[in-house]
Amino acid sequence: MEKENQLSPAVSKQANKRLTNYRKAEKFKDFLCVAPSLLFLFVLTYYPVFNSFYISLTDWNLLKSTKHFKGFDNYKWLFAGTGWDTFKDSIRVTFEYTFLEVLIAIVIGILLAALFNNMSKSFSIMRSIVFMPHYIAMSTGAVIFTWILNTDFGILNIFLEKLGFAKIEWLNSSKNALFAIVMLTGWKAVGYTMMIFLSGIRGIPVDYYEAASLDGAGLFKQFTSITLPLLSPTTLFIFVTTFIDSMKVFQSVEVMTNGGPLNATKVIVYWIYELGFVDYKTGRASAVVVLFFLFLLLFTALTMRVTNKNVHYEG
Amino acid sequence: MSPLVKKRLFFSLQFILALAVTLIMMFPIYWMFITSVKSQQEVLQAVPTLWPSQFHFENFSVVMKAAPFGLYTKNTIIMTVGIMVLQLVIGIFAAYGFAKGSFWGRDKMFLLVLGAMMVPHQAIFIPLYLIVAKLKWIDTFAGLIIPNAVSAYAIFLLRQTFKSINDNYLEAGRIDGIGRIGLIFKILVPMCKPTVITLTIITFINGWNQYFWPLIVTNKETVRPITLGLAKLKRAYAGLEVQNFNEIMAGSVLAILPIVILFIALQKYVVKGVANASLK
Repeated sequence: MEKENQLSPAVSKQANKRLTNYRKAEKFKDFLCVAPSLLFLFVLTYYPVFNSFYISLTDWNLLKSTKHFKGFDNYKWLFAGTGWDTFKDSIRVTFEYTFLEVLIAIVIGILLAALFNNMSKSFSIMRSIVFMPHYIAMSTGAVIFTWILNTDFGILNIFLEKLGFAKIEWLNSSKNALFAIVMLTGWKAVGYTMMIFLSGIRGIPVDYYEAASLDGAGLFKQFTSITLPLLSPTTLFIFVTTFIDSMKVFQSVEVMTNGGPLNATKVIVYWIYELGFVDYKTGRASAVVVLFFLFLLLFTALTMRVTNKNVHYEG
Repeated sequence: MSPLVKKRLFFSLQFILALAVTLIMMFPIYWMFITSVKSQQEVLQAVPTLWPSQFHFENFSVVMKAAPFGLYTKNTIIMTVGIMVLQLVIGIFAAYGFAKGSFWGRDKMFLLVLGAMMVPHQAIFIPLYLIVAKLKWIDTFAGLIIPNAVSAYAIFLLRQTFKSINDNYLEAGRIDGIGRIGLIFKILVPMCKPTVITLTIITFINGWNQYFWPLIVTNKETVRPITLGLAKLKRAYAGLEVQNFNEIMAGSVLAILPIVILFIALQKYVVKGVANASLK
């Protein structure tokens, strides 16, 4: 920079200007790199969020081109009479499902991680097999499980009969259908959570275990007083992601039960789909969407507060 | 008991338990493959056989006639590759801009990406459907692909990885006269190969397994992906007195096979990627 002083003022001024222009052009090119993603996010994510809210204030029916502004009519419908009955039930079903799924994902995930925590080749192959269902399409999994859970010819019932139990109506009874869905989604989830817990376990310093075993702590004691407490950040991560995913459960329900029998598996997202694309009540569907979205946003905001260290703004 | 014997005994016990769990977890997939080559009578036997007495590979040709699985597979490939390429290209450019670029409001704009990660697909699908309908993209590949063109998660993950690369490498490249696109694809991407490969695999598998969105924007067979085709086939059989489970399972095998092969071939990356992505 000092060399510039030796140039004549006119030349130096021109050079500075060119440098500024160059920098401006570079900045603009950098911006161009992110522009497509921002454009897409605005058109495909942010605009639809606001539009959902607007549609929820209208009486719109997907088949008609006219819509009228109705204020909070759809919301009133949701909180009274038949609307409330279905809404209430679908919230209950969704939370029942979420509770079971989160429980399975965490408890079985941790147990499997402890069991499969071995570096040998054979364990690595077995881990991959346990993990594989995670990547099989939910709809395909649902078709396979419909066969396994078939009342008369399904292998599970035949097996149970051999053990002396009565046949169980898995998918045709409103008592068991939700549990049947949990079997499928749990089967898909536990391999994944095992992997996450395992990488959590691997992050625990070996010295802790060595010290504990010198103190005479057995394996069970080591597991409950070292592994479990130190896995709590991982557990929280699994809890939050599984909770949000479970609230959005749809595919397994759509393929296995269509929300039935008797609404026993009509979870929120399935109900939204049914309202919007089967009954064509777009306004009502959007009202449920808005409430659902606000709930998820609130939940995410709350967990972010709890887990401030898991936020990565600073990079 | 000597410590060594104790250790061996413990390992054997652990191994047997782990093997039992593995077999249980694998069973549904095994049962699908085995059912798909059984005869109708054998499928409905009171005592199920764990190995077919006779292989009936014709189930596959029967199911190919009942539903156009070849077409479904082709549609899925087009849709998946389209989504994958767009998400990666747009994601890589955006990640470069957010990680290494300099322009006004860069970090504030990045918050918009993080915000988009929180929006569930189900909260926006009705307006999205309207946009697609207005563009006359219902039953087209554009309708299947474009709404999935950007993945906030991909941008986030790539940006984190690009950030970890020292700026000096880019400076050196600039001095050598490499342009921006060259910097990204000749320096950044090769240096972040593991993340890019993992992301490619995850994007591919997610694309392959898409269900909700295709269900909404497709009515015709001509663009329908295999996940929907299989569910439709299952429903078509569901009304029948005797369900042809061997044929439904043959269809499932056709739907699952590419992913299973991909998974086995690349499992090292897939497994590592998941562990890394969760810890980032």
